[in-house]
Amino acid sequence: MTSSTPTLAIRVLRAPRRPRPRLLYWTAVVVLAVITLAATLAPMLAPDDPDAVDFMSFLAPPSPAHWLGTDSLGRDILSRIIWGGRTALIGPLAVVVFSTIIGILLGLWAGWRGGWVDAALSRVFDVLFAFPSLLIAIMAVALFGKGLWAPVIAMSIAYAPFVARLTRSLVAAERTRPYVSAYRVQGFGGAWIALRRVLPNVTPIVGAQSTLNFGYVLAELAGLSFLGLGVQAPTADWGAMINEAQSGVAAGQLLPAIAPAIAVVLSVVAVNIIGEELSDRIGGENPA
Amino acid sequence: MNLLEIRDLTLDLPTGIRLLHGITLQVAPGETVGLVGESGSGKSVTARSVLGLLPDRAVVGGTVAVNGRSPLADAAGRQQIRRHEAAMVFQDPRAGINPMRTIGDHVTEALRLCEDWPAARARAKAVELLTAVRLPAPREHLDQHPHELSGGMLQRVMIAGALSASPKLLVCDEPTTALDVTTQSEIVQVLRELCANNGMGMLFITHDLNLAGSLCDRLVVMKDGAVVEEGPALRVLREPEAEYTRRLVAATPRITGPAAGSDDRSAAATEASASEPELVVSGAGKTYRRRGRTPVVAVASASLTIPRGGALAVVGESGSGKSTLARMIVGLEEADAGEIMVGGVDVSRASRSRAERLARAKRVQMVFQDPYLSLDPRIPAGRAVEDVLRLHTGLSGPAARSRAIELIQAVGLGEEHFAARPRTLSGGQRQRVAIARALAIGPELLVMDEATSALDVSVQAQVLDLVAGIRREQGLTLLFISHDLAVVRRVCEETIVMRRGEIVEAGPTEQLLRDPQHAYTRLLIDSVPAPA
Repeated sequence: MTSSTPTLAIRVLRAPRRPRPRLLYWTAVVVLAVITLAATLAPMLAPDDPDAVDFMSFLAPPSPAHWLGTDSLGRDILSRIIWGGRTALIGPLAVVVFSTIIGILLGLWAGWRGGWVDAALSRVFDVLFAFPSLLIAIMAVALFGKGLWAPVIAMSIAYAPFVARLTRSLVAAERTRPYVSAYRVQGFGGAWIALRRVLPNVTPIVGAQSTLNFGYVLAELAGLSFLGLGVQAPTADWGAMINEAQSGVAAGQLLPAIAPAIAVVLSVVAVNIIGEELSDRIGGENPA
Repeated sequence: MNLLEIRDLTLDLPTGIRLLHGITLQVAPGETVGLVGESGSGKSVTARSVLGLLPDRAVVGGTVAVNGRSPLADAAGRQQIRRHEAAMVFQDPRAGINPMRTIGDHVTEALRLCEDWPAARARAKAVELLTAVRLPAPREHLDQHPHELSGGMLQRVMIAGALSASPKLLVCDEPTTALDVTTQSEIVQVLRELCANNGMGMLFITHDLNLAGSLCDRLVVMKDGAVVEEGPALRVLREPEAEYTRRLVAATPRITGPAAGSDDRSAAATEASASEPELVVSGAGKTYRRRGRTPVVAVASASLTIPRGGALAVVGESGSGKSTLARMIVGLEEADAGEIMVGGVDVSRASRSRAERLARAKRVQMVFQDPYLSLDPRIPAGRAVEDVLRLHTGLSGPAARSRAIELIQAVGLGEEHFAARPRTLSGGQRQRVAIARALAIGPELLVMDEATSALDVSVQAQVLDLVAGIRREQGLTLLFISHDLAVVRRVCEETIVMRRGEIVEAGPTEQLLRDPQHAYTRLLIDSVPAPA
């Protein structure tokens, strides 16, 4: 005769503690907003054409003409970073969207049906977990050629199991809840309950977790470009810029490599702070 | 000097909400004081303050003194009280014990760490304590882990642990609420003996007036963070002075004396007995088989009949199979054996098609135990009812909406609750929504599985009245699953008693209560606490 009625004492003890300083969160939001805005408005904001070569200055230090200096081909680094933000953000965004859709559907299927479907899908996820996502991406590049989209598809497949596993466990727990039994007794069909009622109840948690993937994917895609397997020259891309500038680092030319690296770090950290705050807020609310 | 002296205790949360409005109460040495009230009355917060367990950054006013020492002043005093003066027993024993440590570790912890007793001496004392709480095999239990013991046994371990430091005051916060009624009566007996033998004072928090009356010398009734009445237990229960206490006493179902609502019941019963059977269960059984384990017989060959418009109660303790029986009838479990006929149609097999599923839902509906879990957290009350109407009646748009509002109003809620999410509703309101949702389909048979056991007594009384009214108006047939004989007596004219999957006794409720035939029924009836 357990009654799970929260008594007043328990509710008081569960009351949220002092809200953590929101400063960090809002800083992250502002940083990400600035990066996103800059990338979308690149044609208007960038002081120069990212591919324009200034023959008068190779590896120039910062100056009024080139705020962050130029690279070894005499291209304006600031403009390339602003333009590079486009590929840097669109790739992870696509990966997060695709992997979330694939992962939620497979996770829902496995968690709702249980039995052999669950067992089979879980083993498939295990196999995918065994491969580092970078390796899958490199295989995809070998199969489909270099560029933005082959790694994006590969990463979507590599990240889908993370989403699927979380969805599966949430759905499996949700499936045993009395409200699902209540729907069954009322005569609703299994597919309707799963898609129309259970799915919306787990989506916020899964979605918040997926935003955390954004940062990792951004870093990994930049890594692929750095290895020369992602976006190809001359398109501006942060990873590729670091790659092109790395020979200069030994020679003391730090800025061409450091500037895009800072851009990567800033966006990854900002996205992770936002993602963590989101999953805290949603997780703390007790979904069901 | 009093053992516990609480004077004008106020407690404010940092959000500005005042939980306690000047509580004053005393416990004399050797005295048992019951602190009763409904959820949200502040009884637990008051009790916890005795050991200095307060919400974060709460602002406290007034004084609390345990044997002259204040638990609120400084950490040293608080520790002194927790070690030597007072101990606490909580509601859920399984939540309060470390599952990785043995029972012996738990019971001897305070002795070894606070009193620096050597292990052997602490162990001997632990055996003594476990014997005192009447555990069957104290020596063996010392090396067992919590998962090997039942809830009732664990609660005894918790009591033994609380007593290890020989406290002068024992604070019990609903220590038997999560337990079966027979286990409850054993635990209460243990507490009663311990207090008498050790001259210990006890502050006993409960929502159950009958239990408080049977155990306590004095009662303190709380409501909304204030004391509304206090006095000798029997006086408070027999001649309550405060209006609130009077309502509370009236709402509390009893197994003796005149039963509330018995007129409704007998009127419905005479009509019902003449008509044909609505639910016939014959030889239904369910066995859970798991690989590598002995099969568990949840229900063994159960047979029962309810005439159309009748009300039958199924009574039993946890594990008696009463819920499995209910789940088979509504189709959440498939019966292994036997037949279940509702309105003349066999429903013992799972529905294969959409049409079958809908037809079955139209015949049987169910109200679940926990209104906090049986409503979809995302779906507002009105929409939950509308969904059902759309599926079953073909109503849509404004027609469905106005019908849903009618149904919501019929269960005593207002139009303003239509758009309310379950989270913003109280337990009673949620259960009303669940009832409205079940009635929207217009079922012939309504199964209520412990549908009022999570509710406060006054809310429970309202919900039971609501169900009685619906039965009268619509001729609904009712199957009422409960562990509480007193509630059953209010609602149902017929009762069956289940134990370990078997029906041990069946008959008219009053006759069964007055003259129980089976030993187990007698034990159940004797275990129900009654003010002496």
